[in-house]
Amino acid sequence: MTRLGARSLGWSAALALVIAACSAPAAWTGPPPTAPPGGVLIVAQALAFDRTRLAVPAGVPFEFLVASYDAAPHNVTILDDGGRPVFVGETFGGPGSRTYSVPPIAAGRYRFRCDVHTYMTGTVDASPSVAQ
Amino acid sequence: MDAINDIARPGTRWTAVFLRATVVLLTLTTAAVHASLGGFLFTMNALGYAAFAVAMVLPGPFGRIRWLVRVALIGFTLATIGGWVLFGARFPLAYVDKGVEVALVVFLAIELWLFDGGPFGIARRTRRLASAFAATVATRGAR
Repeated sequence: MTRLGARSLGWSAALALVIAACSAPAAWTGPPPTAPPGGVLIVAQALAFDRTRLAVPAGVPFEFLVASYDAAPHNVTILDDGGRPVFVGETFGGPGSRTYSVPPIAAGRYRFRCDVHTYMTGTVDASPSVAQ
Repeated sequence: MDAINDIARPGTRWTAVFLRATVVLLTLTTAAVHASLGGFLFTMNALGYAAFAVAMVLPGPFGRIRWLVRVALIGFTLATIGGWVLFGARFPLAYVDKGVEVALVVFLAIELWLFDGGPFGIARRTRRLASAFAATVATRGAR
């Protein structure tokens, strides 16, 4: 191997190590997450949510717990039919969790997603019949 | 030091070293930030930045096309910033990273201005490269 090739290989290996270190998954250290009373829980793991359908109470505020097992940052945004956000949760780095206090939303079907990874998505059904 | 011979002129060597080191550091920083976000697109973006960081320091014949690497890295960075403006999530790390990327474009523009002759120099080099490419294609076609 030429000196030039060896040096390039060295640089590339060092860069690959830096990239790998930055994207290495971190371990969850807290207790298993449980849904807040009257609220909902969603878990983010391996850049995916653990469910794609959520049922929430309509017309009353509720708590929304997001537990992330990923090192990557996540949040949850709830969007209406037209794609307008009705609630935007704070983005946080993982692993960790955030409990959002969601203001009352009207009955109907909404979409939720992670703003950082917009392919992490699902639907929210807001209904007055969902128990508080 | 071989890696910066392509831009070092008498009296400008330390400026060149400082600029090149800053550009590589900023490029690796934004590569690391994008790698930390996970997912296919962010990982591809991080690998792109990492490849540019390598291309900015490769010595020897690569030095002759460093201007092209600089122009391409400016384009790549501006496209990344544009993608974030259009579709990106707004959170503190994203703003910090955009600051890093804007600084990267500024430092690359300074390098480009000092060592590549600015926009006119780039236009001349592009014309020369296009002519050489056309000549190569014509020669191969004639065989």
